[in-house]
Amino acid sequence: MSERAVVDRLTCVLCPVGCELEAARNAAGELDITGNQCDKGVPFAVEEILRPKRNLATSVPIKDTTAKMVSVRLSAAVPRDLIFPILAEIAKLRPQAPVRRGQVLIANVLGTGVDVIATRTLLLSEKPRQR
Amino acid sequence: MGKPLETCDVAVIGGGPAGLAAALGARRAGAGKVLLLEREKTLGGILNQCVHDGFGLFLYKETISGPEYAERLAEDVAREPVKVETGAMVLDLSRERVLRVNSRNGYRLIQAGAVVLAMGCRERTRGQIEVPGTRPAGVYTAGLAQNLVNLQNLRIGNEAVILGSGDIGLIMARRLVFEGVKVKGVFEILPWPGGLERNVRQCLLDFGIPLELGSTVVEIRGRDRVESVVVAKVDEAMAPVAGTERVIPCDTLLLSVGLIPENELSKRAGMELSPLTGGAVVDESLMTSVPGVFSCGNVLHIHDVADWASFEGLAAGERAACYAAGERATGTAVHVSPGPDVKYVLPQIVTSGKAGVEWSFRVARPVRDVRVEVRGKASGKVYARGKYSRLLPSELQKIKVNDAVEEDLEVGCHE
Repeated sequence: MSERAVVDRLTCVLCPVGCELEAARNAAGELDITGNQCDKGVPFAVEEILRPKRNLATSVPIKDTTAKMVSVRLSAAVPRDLIFPILAEIAKLRPQAPVRRGQVLIANVLGTGVDVIATRTLLLSEKPRQR
Repeated sequence: MGKPLETCDVAVIGGGPAGLAAALGARRAGAGKVLLLEREKTLGGILNQCVHDGFGLFLYKETISGPEYAERLAEDVAREPVKVETGAMVLDLSRERVLRVNSRNGYRLIQAGAVVLAMGCRERTRGQIEVPGTRPAGVYTAGLAQNLVNLQNLRIGNEAVILGSGDIGLIMARRLVFEGVKVKGVFEILPWPGGLERNVRQCLLDFGIPLELGSTVVEIRGRDRVESVVVAKVDEAMAPVAGTERVIPCDTLLLSVGLIPENELSKRAGMELSPLTGGAVVDESLMTSVPGVFSCGNVLHIHDVADWASFEGLAAGERAACYAAGERATGTAVHVSPGPDVKYVLPQIVTSGKAGVEWSFRVARPVRDVRVEVRGKASGKVYARGKYSRLLPSELQKIKVNDAVEEDLEVGCHE
């Protein structure tokens, strides 16, 4: 075990058992995962280390409704290194009420095949908020 | 008083994940007149500002954000003939289940057949953890910062330090990075993180934010606005170690140092509260020491997952409906207490002879390779046992006893 260069320690989140995985590089430079109690642990760890995916959530200003902001997220997780480029796209959004939960605000953001969707329903208010 | 009392079968106080579910639970168990009172203008409680995903995995079998979870639950309630009142503040609750309510309809008294408490919790503040130093602007609780950033579109600062590693603090660390705020570090007085492991990974590690365990903020500096904080290591007694102080320039300090169940109304009703949970002492039906008053969600004990608050709400609502219909438990009270390495166990009281009771418990510190046992205090009999390779204080656990219980019990960790 002494030649193993540990690159990461992580807990598998695929089931409540929560195996504690250890990822190391073997002599050939390949990832070697230990600590998994089932077959799913290895691909989980390899993806988490080499190509981690994340969802992201934020909120953007909205007008003519009862709230100042509408919350948004991605319809699915994207590669982690796309978080900031996608946030920059979301920052350009100025949605108008009404907005429905699940409504696509940016389709196929940055060609990822993933949409930016509203996560809250905000109706057109009769008396727009004074600002 | 003169005024005739308005009546309802079940009154639910609070329209967050627990209260909404409680209203649903009450309807499912056949309650006729269900009244849901929420003091904010919108339903959903704290979920509305929790824009991150990770909610609903257990209730809706998919991972969604807080606002989506709140809307779906509110829609489920809207399909039922539940009277929902927003902007309604419950000012008082009596032992006889009379609510004093102030709302757009004015001030009125409501006699409820049963009451479900679902008021949620509040954040622990600077005053409660006694951080020395000046009193400048720029010190926020993490949840307040979350509200300002996610709902009010306000920028709260440029360079932040976070004290405490509760989940909201971790989530806000990432949220501030998204907003262009430099997060200089998270400092946790305990030797382990307060929040869930996935949040440590996805909110801190992903963005290179340092997490320093066993350290705390010992001084806040700045006259009008925070200018810096002084952090230091702590010893086993959690006292700062002289000589380890470090000054960190920043203009913002976020506190994520714990949540306190909001039991002001419960106290008005003369309810017995647990010093271990900060919430009511309840029996297996989630009924408090005040007959006909039930408790669920964060006002009962702090949850790490909203779904569990909702499941608890469903159960409390169902039991409240049964109580309102005249059902009463018979039997003496069996007491349940936390044993080795267990911080608290809930319910604290069980009606003797009751079978199939499930307990929630939380460990007091991280433990490895343990058997959690529900043991009879007098007989030493093991009623239930679970083996765990690892248990963390941040994760609420469940253990179920199938047999009828006739003696006082202890839930503890054993080698």
